[in-house]
Amino acid sequence: MAVHTQLLVRRYLTTRIIPLIAVAAVALCTALVIIVVSVMSGFLENLRNSGRTLMGDVVLSRPVQGIPWYGELVRDLEALPGAQAASPLVDTYGLVRMPYPDGPSKDVVTAQVWAIDPESFSRVTDFDRTIWWKPAASREEALAMGEDDPRRSIGDGPLNDARAMRDLATGRPGALLGMHVSVANQRQRDGSYRPRVAHWWMPRHEVSVTLVPISERGTVSQSNSRTFKVVNEVMSGVFQVDRNRVFIPLKDGQELLRLDEAPVVDTEAEPDADGNYPVVGTSPARATQVLVRAKPGTTADELKEQVEKAYEQFWLRASADPARRTKPPAPESVSIMTWNERLRDLIGPVEKERQMMMILFSITGLVCAGLILAIFWAIVAEKTRDIGILRATGAGRGGVMAIFLRYGLAIGVAGALIGTGLAWVVVRNINDIHHALGERAPTWAWAGTFLLAAFAAAGAVRALVRASALGTLLWSVGALALAGVGAGLMLHQGFLMWDPAVYYFATIPSTMDWAAARVIGAGAVVCSVLGAAVPAARAADIDPVRALRYE
Amino acid sequence: MPLLEAEDVHRTYRLGRTEVPVLKGASIRVNPGEWVAILGSSGSGKSTLLHLLGGLDRPDAGAVRFRGESISRFSPRRLDRYRNEHVGFVFQFYHLLPELNVLENTMIPAMVGVGRLEWMRRRGEIRERARALLDRFGLSHRVRHRPAELSGGERQRVAIARALMHRPDVLMADEPTGNLDAKTGEAILETLAEQHRAGLTIVMVTHDQWIAARADRIVHLVDGRVA
Ligand SMILES: Nc1ncnc2c1ncn2[C@@H]1O[C@H](COP(=O)(O)OP(=O)(O)OP(=O)(O)O)[C@@H](O)[C@H]1O
Ligand SMILES: [Mg+2]
Repeated sequence: MAVHTQLLVRRYLTTRIIPLIAVAAVALCTALVIIVVSVMSGFLENLRNSGRTLMGDVVLSRPVQGIPWYGELVRDLEALPGAQAASPLVDTYGLVRMPYPDGPSKDVVTAQVWAIDPESFSRVTDFDRTIWWKPAASREEALAMGEDDPRRSIGDGPLNDARAMRDLATGRPGALLGMHVSVANQRQRDGSYRPRVAHWWMPRHEVSVTLVPISERGTVSQSNSRTFKVVNEVMSGVFQVDRNRVFIPLKDGQELLRLDEAPVVDTEAEPDADGNYPVVGTSPARATQVLVRAKPGTTADELKEQVEKAYEQFWLRASADPARRTKPPAPESVSIMTWNERLRDLIGPVEKERQMMMILFSITGLVCAGLILAIFWAIVAEKTRDIGILRATGAGRGGVMAIFLRYGLAIGVAGALIGTGLAWVVVRNINDIHHALGERAPTWAWAGTFLLAAFAAAGAVRALVRASALGTLLWSVGALALAGVGAGLMLHQGFLMWDPAVYYFATIPSTMDWAAARVIGAGAVVCSVLGAAVPAARAADIDPVRALRYE
Repeated sequence: MPLLEAEDVHRTYRLGRTEVPVLKGASIRVNPGEWVAILGSSGSGKSTLLHLLGGLDRPDAGAVRFRGESISRFSPRRLDRYRNEHVGFVFQFYHLLPELNVLENTMIPAMVGVGRLEWMRRRGEIRERARALLDRFGLSHRVRHRPAELSGGERQRVAIARALMHRPDVLMADEPTGNLDAKTGEAILETLAEQHRAGLTIVMVTHDQWIAARADRIVHLVDGRVA
């Protein structure tokens, strides 16, 4: 690169204000896009993690009729090289009669009821971690909790009851409710929960669960109800799950749905003296789903393949066994999916949203490029005579163009670097920033702003006295803007944008998406150079004679 | 052989649909070491002729020859090099680069003309020459100043130093005193005369016959032709 190019680029950059504005514009655009994309990526990542949290890696399911001999299947699956654990469950929809309000008529809600075996279920999913009401781990943690936080006073009871899914004191079956199934829990700003009314802290109460068994012919028979002690509540982090899901013990679910082991009677034969038909065998208990967790190092897709093969063998073996009257369903009627496929409905829209954001913000990038183009257009127009002078001393078109391209490159690189740094700072502290927005502004903040406004006003008066129109204008605008910001801060009551009910998660994802940041930063540089290229080409095309005549 | 000659050059400017013929067959010869003044009324095409001679523009017809070679047929690159190596321009409005200081403005032709490596090697020597020129024009105390901080006469002397920086074969001065008061103008002319005495070829454009009288020879430009 020619010597004069370098010198002029440096001087043009350092002796004027316009390039600073351009750098600021590039930096802000870059930071904005990186922040939004990082939060969205983090959000997606959280969603994926929560998917695994909820259901392990691979789900084998046969709704309604279920899979007989599932104990054997679970053992087969656990023996797979890629599987760490497997757990059977029964899932259905049911009615849950809540203990509130006071009086004889109670609220009834519909719920997705999962009847689980808590021990194996905890090995497959992060169930144990999602149990909400746990005693404080340490004295400090207890002290950090709010005064009316029920976790402060509870002992180990609710946790042990939850793990056993039984009220260990009385031996009665226990149920766990999703955190938002009852209307009692109210989320606090710090992310903890308290009952709206202390009396309605759910683990003190009982709920009645009603399930409807469905016959082999697909008809509904008499519904069954059972009362459960609420032993705890669970918080998976996925709002739709926490709003709808109720866990009960596997055995109770099977019994209520008539999927438990039962004698098979011969209704063709003569009944005995009591009117009972003779028993000819037993129908095995059934599970509607088996969840499988992959060993570390095995992907969900690899495990899915193994599970498919294992199920086929299980089916062949069981079908060939003449001793079994009941056969497992054929592989075609069993669905085997990874958690990712199961969550398609949930993840799909978020992925779409992220793509849309990318597109929207690419438009921001174009606007940024347009801005740079405009700024450079102005710079070139202003520098037309310089171009004529350079041409007169022998500089070629290429050399003139190189000056402005380099100029654009320098602005792009500086803007991208500053923007990335800014985004990094914001993303890392996004929850604190969000929290600060939610608080009332501290007194010093608005008082300080008013003080600065007063200084600016003084500057305006001084400029007025010195008869500087521009100075008066700038200082006045500054004073008004600062006064406005100060007033805004003073009146600001605090607001929160991130509503966990809408966004599934309690905190805003705060990890920087470096892969996206690299792409976006490179994009900003490319946009800057492109924005500079048009005016640079125009500069190169300027007729030197005209440029010298340019006033 | 003349150092520089224009033979029957035509130049017409187009302003939308109307054509403005400025030069209609002008011819001029400049011999080595000569100081030629081109005299003419405003709008007669003096600057246009100077730009053609200096390789800033190309004639529509006719030829401009430097040492017998037609520069009108040079490639753009070669023409750039011609301006850089053989010509030094001085303009009425000084035309210094406002962001560069006096020393840097003076060195611009050297910066444009040499490659990066050569610059590294010869930087000291180039700087020395620029300082020496500025010193000769009484500007040694001004080297770090920006053009905006100088008077008109000082700026024009910087412009002359810049034009001489690369040891051109011919100095092209377009109304070099047009923007200066009589006394300062006289000083600038004296500077040119001094360079001329040292052997520099000068082509100077003016509409003032008293200024033109300083030259060895006066060429009148009337109605796009040399009278
Ligand atoms: N780029 C251009 N486009 C159109 N017309 C032009 C252009 N350059 C010069 N002209 C016209 O050509 C004519 C001659 O211009 P030129 O600058 O050569 O005159 P001049 O003799 O130097 O005049 P002055 O003494 O006022 O500088 C003028 O009428 C001018 O308007
Ligand atoms: Mg002129």
